[in-house]
Amino acid sequence: MALIAFYILSTIVVLSALFVVAARNPVHSVLWLILAFFTSAGLLVLIGAEFLAMLLVVVYVGAVAVLFLFVVMMLDIDFAELKQGFQNYLVVGVLVALALLAEIGIVAAAATFGGGTTFNANPGAATNAEALSRVLYTDYLLLFQMSGIVLLVAMIGAIVLTLRARPTVKRQNIAQQTGRKRKDAVELKDVRPGQGI
Amino acid sequence: MENLFQWGGGMWGGIGLAVLQIVTFVVILLVLIAFLLLFDRKVWAAVQLRKGPNVVGPFGLLQSFADLIKFVLKEVIIPAGANKTVFLLAPVITLTLALVGWAVIPVAPGWVISNLNVGVLYLFAVSSLGVYGIIMGGWASNSKYPFLGGLRSAAQMVSYEVSIGFVIVTVLLLVGSLNLSDVVENQAGGIWNWHAFAFPTIFVMFPMFVIFFISALAETNRPPFDLPEAESELVAGYQVEYSSSPYLMFMIGEYVSIVLMCSMLTILFFGGWHMPLPIPGVDGLPEWLLSLGGLLVFIVKTTFFFFLFAMVKAIVPRYRYDQLMRLGWKIFLPTSLVAVVIVSAYVTFQNASGRQEFDRLDADSSGYLEAPELAAVILPSGVDTDNDGKVSLAEYRDRARS
Amino acid sequence: MDFLADINNAIPEAALAGFGLVGLLLGAIGGDRTAGLIRLLAAVALVAASVLTAYQFQHPGAADGIAAFASATSPDGLYRVTMFTLFAKTVTYALAALALLMSGGFLKTSQMERYEYPLLIVFGSLGAGLMLSANDLMTLYVGIETLSLSSYVLAAFRRDSLKSAEAGLKYFVLGALASGLLLYGSSLIYGFTGGTAYAVIAAAPISVGLTFGLVFVVCGLSFKASAAPFHIWTPDVYEGAPAPVVAFFSTAPKIAAVALLAHVMFVTFGPHEEAWRQIISIISAASMLIGAFGALMQNSIKRILAYSSISNVGFALIGVAAGVGNGAASVLVYMTLYVIATLGMFGGVLALRRGGRAIDNVSDLNGLVKQKPGMALGLLVLIFSVAGIPPAAGFWGKLQVFQAGLQADMTWLVLVGALSSVVSLGYYLRLVWAMFMKPSAGELDKTDISIGIIVLVTSLLMFPILTVTIQMLLETAARASGG
Repeated sequence: MALIAFYILSTIVVLSALFVVAARNPVHSVLWLILAFFTSAGLLVLIGAEFLAMLLVVVYVGAVAVLFLFVVMMLDIDFAELKQGFQNYLVVGVLVALALLAEIGIVAAAATFGGGTTFNANPGAATNAEALSRVLYTDYLLLFQMSGIVLLVAMIGAIVLTLRARPTVKRQNIAQQTGRKRKDAVELKDVRPGQGI
Repeated sequence: MENLFQWGGGMWGGIGLAVLQIVTFVVILLVLIAFLLLFDRKVWAAVQLRKGPNVVGPFGLLQSFADLIKFVLKEVIIPAGANKTVFLLAPVITLTLALVGWAVIPVAPGWVISNLNVGVLYLFAVSSLGVYGIIMGGWASNSKYPFLGGLRSAAQMVSYEVSIGFVIVTVLLLVGSLNLSDVVENQAGGIWNWHAFAFPTIFVMFPMFVIFFISALAETNRPPFDLPEAESELVAGYQVEYSSSPYLMFMIGEYVSIVLMCSMLTILFFGGWHMPLPIPGVDGLPEWLLSLGGLLVFIVKTTFFFFLFAMVKAIVPRYRYDQLMRLGWKIFLPTSLVAVVIVSAYVTFQNASGRQEFDRLDADSSGYLEAPELAAVILPSGVDTDNDGKVSLAEYRDRARS
Repeated sequence: MDFLADINNAIPEAALAGFGLVGLLLGAIGGDRTAGLIRLLAAVALVAASVLTAYQFQHPGAADGIAAFASATSPDGLYRVTMFTLFAKTVTYALAALALLMSGGFLKTSQMERYEYPLLIVFGSLGAGLMLSANDLMTLYVGIETLSLSSYVLAAFRRDSLKSAEAGLKYFVLGALASGLLLYGSSLIYGFTGGTAYAVIAAAPISVGLTFGLVFVVCGLSFKASAAPFHIWTPDVYEGAPAPVVAFFSTAPKIAAVALLAHVMFVTFGPHEEAWRQIISIISAASMLIGAFGALMQNSIKRILAYSSISNVGFALIGVAAGVGNGAASVLVYMTLYVIATLGMFGGVLALRRGGRAIDNVSDLNGLVKQKPGMALGLLVLIFSVAGIPPAAGFWGKLQVFQAGLQADMTWLVLVGALSSVVSLGYYLRLVWAMFMKPSAGELDKTDISIGIIVLVTSLLMFPILTVTIQMLLETAARASGG
């Protein structure tokens, strides 16, 4: 059962990864990418890493890919021009791809025939989340905190590079707006017919 | 209900049974939603001193079904410049994702299609995917209003997911589990144990409930946050080009996710299937009767929240877009972040002695954790220092050191 | 784990991180008015971190080789201070502080005075310190990423300038690729050794997968150190990024990156020396040659300095290729002397302005000796030192690496080094020629006093009057590599 599911899911992953590259429309590429992410989450569920699977969906599909989609949709991309570039770099690209494939092959062969290492698949906790958090907040606290610093630096960087104080832009003072009372805005006038205010 | 899988006889039996469960669940859910839709319109009408739909069937009860037939029988119009595949895929994705979320919702004791250990995360993941249907629909229509509506909606949903996530984290910290059934069980015993009202966390958790409620409105694009489909600005937002069944799917998907949010409110803050007051003597009743009662309680609570959603729609005027973003990022996010800090500090210091946790694990109150109870908890080897086969409170406290 | 003991070892980094957060809060509340204050405070924090690290270095019992953040899964800890890295960290923090102090005038005149600038330098230095103290590939990566992200933003800090934005983008895209290579290599290593801790990797037998991983890791680290053939970003980033940022790039992160490369080779892959010696010596030779020949055709001072840095990294890598026993001390000596001299030279670039605009072309230096004889003399000493001309201090550094190379029987590498030294004299002397022999190119602006002091001090340090200093440095570095 799990084996059938594995083959189905991995076929989908590989095919959708292929379509990410092959699709003519960049939006379609991103959609295939999302499918690839999503199906990879399914593979993670199959090996019992349901927490990681959910994180993959939440972080990559739910946040990162949405931004990709946003950017790709808003960019006006010239398909003909894109394809031209593709032709130019085709040879180099194929060579690099072949080299990487060969490397993976060599490594995989070495791993299969040369022994390799076994990993502790059972961390000794009831659920994934518990197992992860037990080490994340104790043994790997340093890394956890430093990852926070990395993200903080990224955030500072994004703000530094994009936030501009434009003196010409009119800004709204929300507190003032919400603090406005009825008597500040509405005045009742007794208008006599035919006379106006 | 999980163990039903073993009854079916082998793999195909299990699959067949699961499919049967899902189909039954979805059909009942959709029928209930048909009536909730009518209820929504009736509430709205009542607030505006109208009668609402009252022609089809007694009191207009069959109105939703008439609408369904109308939608299904109309012609599907696909705009000439639309990206056809994506255009048709979008409503399907919306509806599917809205329905898929229900797989982990425990509607009654033991009545859940998949009792996932990461149920809350699953719900969070599924609801974060909901944005795709809208953004794809907006883009594929190849038209300005839908595109702008789709972008708005995506930005809005992504923004409010953050505060929803933090609010959920506060609940999870109190429960100590990602399993939704555990979340409900943690609130057993009466209204004073419900997360929204439990003392002393009420001072944090009730505001968190309010934040969750408002964020749920924004997340599901309900008024007063229905800016993606604000008719005065964007005609109907991402739905402009949709007609007939695809439109119907969008609409049903929207309502399914609204009801899903209501049920999440029920589960996370209002005790799920538990009665507000413990009724003496119910323990003797057969299990199926208890579950049925739990289901009724759950439905009543969920309907109550749906009523609140409807009232908000009827009463509150629409927000301006910058106000909406400001509310999400500048008010809800910091507030819920502070709440996470407070709740985690509370949980840590409350649990400092390990007493509470120990009592929870010690189901038979024997003062020791013995064989059946030990199976439910992961302890480091060597925690049982006096080797008597059971773990005392002192040994439990020392578990980190051993 | 014993949290306090762990923190005790990491006090310099903890202080930097703490200051970064407090400074951020201060800046967020006070806005850019507080920028000058935060810059000063950041320099103080960096000096403090440097002093704390030096204290650990002086009291080896307190720190030597002590692992922090140890646990059942990684008994050697995620963080480890050794004499080698302590030395590198001390220099890194001190130079970051100096680069920060030096930047004040430039930031003010070019309207870049924002409070994020010193904070990014602090966070970058924190990343540099962490990657040097890493005892695990994960810590290494997190440290590198902290440093890199800060660097990308700093390179593009002058966002209204097209060149600065281009520099930032190029640095980012290529840096992300290098991080990818590093991660790919790390994952291969993890797969074949079963661990990411340095001790586990060092203990593992050499295998195909480990070799592949090693190659990728070396590629990633060489990029950070801007060694050829991963140097392509360097001239563009140096040219485009604001001058004070380049002064920072070419000093603190530079010595940190080279020391890191050396440390990873010596410690993590120590037993696999045969596997990496060839790679490192090829990278070293390529860097020296490309740095020497590439600079010959350049007119921009910043680009010349960029190629000079590539070439000098190559020289330092001779020491790495020579192996831990022969080369560790020479790497530290060489890089320390080089970055101090570079700091002084960038001080000159920052200080010399004409009509409010920073000079960049070699011809802008024409006739400097007539207008600012002190500055010209100081720069002369610094250039001699970087070029390795006796009696300037840089010569002794070069001598050290060459000796290390000879001891390790790498005569060909030393010959390549000598050749590229001679070639590089071509452009170093061109700078000197412009300053001393050409007629004046026009009136220069008044020099910032703090920069003048830095140029003076660094050139004095590079001057052989202070042979004692070099002797001290040699001894300290020898102690550092012994630990």
